Amino acid sequence: MPLCSLKNIRKSYSLGQEEVEILRGISLEIQEGEFVALMGPSGSGKTTLMNIIGCLDVPTTGEYIFAGQKVSGLTDDELSIFRNEHMGFVFQNFHLLPYANVLENVLLPTLYVSGKKEGAPLKRARELLKLVGLEDRERFKPSQLSGGQQQRVAIARALVNDPRLILADEPTGQLDSSTAREIMDLLQKMGHGGKTVMVITHDLATAAYAERKVHMQDGLVSG
Amino acid sequence: MKRIALNLSIALRSLYSFKLRTSLAVLGVLLGTLSLIVVSNLTGSLVKQGEKELEKLGKNLLLVQSGTAIRFGMRTRVMSTADTLKVADIQAIKDHSPHVSMVAPTSTRTFPIRYGNILLGNTIVTGTSSSFTHVRNFQVERGRFFTDEEDEQLERGVVLGSGVARRLFGTEDPLGRHILVRRVPCQVIGVMEEKGVDLSNVDQDDQVFVPIRTFLKRFVNQEHVANIFVQTINSESMMAAKSQVEAILRDRHNLQPGQEDDFTVIDSRDLLELKTQTTSMITLLGRIAATISFLIGAMGILSIMILIVNERKEEIGIRRAVGSRRRDIVLQFLMESSFIALLGGMVGVFLGLATSLAIFYFSGLPLSISPPAIALAFCSSVLVGILAGIYPSKKATTIQPINILRS
Repeated sequence: MPLCSLKNIRKSYSLGQEEVEILRGISLEIQEGEFVALMGPSGSGKTTLMNIIGCLDVPTTGEYIFAGQKVSGLTDDELSIFRNEHMGFVFQNFHLLPYANVLENVLLPTLYVSGKKEGAPLKRARELLKLVGLEDRERFKPSQLSGGQQQRVAIARALVNDPRLILADEPTGQLDSSTAREIMDLLQKMGHGGKTVMVITHDLATAAYAERKVHMQDGLVSG
Repeated sequence: MKRIALNLSIALRSLYSFKLRTSLAVLGVLLGTLSLIVVSNLTGSLVKQGEKELEKLGKNLLLVQSGTAIRFGMRTRVMSTADTLKVADIQAIKDHSPHVSMVAPTSTRTFPIRYGNILLGNTIVTGTSSSFTHVRNFQVERGRFFTDEEDEQLERGVVLGSGVARRLFGTEDPLGRHILVRRVPCQVIGVMEEKGVDLSNVDQDDQVFVPIRTFLKRFVNQEHVANIFVQTINSESMMAAKSQVEAILRDRHNLQPGQEDDFTVIDSRDLLELKTQTTSMITLLGRIAATISFLIGAMGILSIMILIVNERKEEIGIRRAVGSRRRDIVLQFLMESSFIALLGGMVGVFLGLATSLAIFYFSGLPLSISPPAIALAFCSSVLVGILAGIYPSKKATTIQPINILRS
């Protein structure tokens, strides 16, 4: 059974009078443990597709099944819980909380873990900081870190609730090539550790890390 | 608990970056709680003060005045005079009303009084009976008050108010000395305790007392008295005593049905009325001030929370992305706004108590702290925080993570 199964996904937005169709019938399967690169020119619908896969957005029509569960019919609250449990996000602009320190940023998703499985979030957060090589920066503010270090914090945050899918939208877009390599190495390490990773990029060097490349063009998967 | 602490510590740091606006919002709530507490304590104190003054005037007291009078608050305006209230009426009231425990007449006039070279110009001379000290709760400090026998025999014993004694005699012992009251030599037999100004607005220390019959015969040469103080057996019998006194006097003065009273009976509690009005005015103004302050505080919190929500759109987007539900966001911002309000509330309660204590200390008003007011102030501040937080936190939930995180 694939981890993600998308069938004929369509997404359209209304811009004033006009209806703009961003995704025009996408069918895609992602297997558990795969490292997938999503490529394509800007405006091809990559980010919209990633938002739908990450449950940040819902398709207009079509069916999305994640780990055997139908996502399409979930309420806003259920989607939140679903993201909290199963998704880890890494963004181009890092998106860390400026007021919070490194450790608090990593702990953020654990604040919203629903009820039963709480575990030991602090211990896990510290382990992850060690894994990304920032164990001595716990008390630092994001503004005191380099771009690469901030992205490492974001990766630790994405992993703290032990999600099944990591979605990274241009994770190296703001980084120089050597730092970009370090970040991709880190994501690859996660992949080898059994996580499913999906990276949006138009950088070929970044895409080279992927086992499978999915190309998009005009709202459709082209090959 | 840990989650709340972490959220709060993040929120605090964000509030810290809006220092001025946050402190304005805190200040509004602070002033609200402060005025609420000060006013409640002050009101309580004034009520206590009024009770004290009533006690000072004498317990369970009715005041019979000759002639008809209309009261304007504390002042009594005589509308018509009468010379029908007699010493014999006093005995009649005492004998025929079971609700009356003691009766004392008073009549006053001002005369010059003299001791040696010292002349005091217009001094209030009060004629009264032996029961005066008890009825008016006004005791002799040195010497004694005159007796009923001395009254009957028209003796010329005089009891000095403490102020008069000080001015005439200084450090000298006045007891046994003779002073001239309107050229009538009188022997000083006692000095009263200090009492000050009471509800009747007369400085009680600034007068001298002589037996009522001596006063009527030797000083003013008339037969009627001006007032009778009637003390009832307890506070419940005031109303009954009042109508009995009225009935007795009407009968003794041969008033026909339909004919107007030639006297006026005043309940001493009515004298407090004006004070009570003042008190309720203070309470009202204080409540208005508190409400306005709370409103200002609420507006302050509202504006700061709108700012904060705008400033933290990215944060809200991130939180939504990592799994916070809409209600988590609402809760978070409501907690922050209540926290601002509660902070103002706590400081306000503290300062309010301090201000009240300072007022009591410097004004000499009796101490009165109102626990319900403190509770009310706390609840109001939290309520203000929550109400002011509703709109901004609702606004926060309309933020969609995909719109924020794309950039």
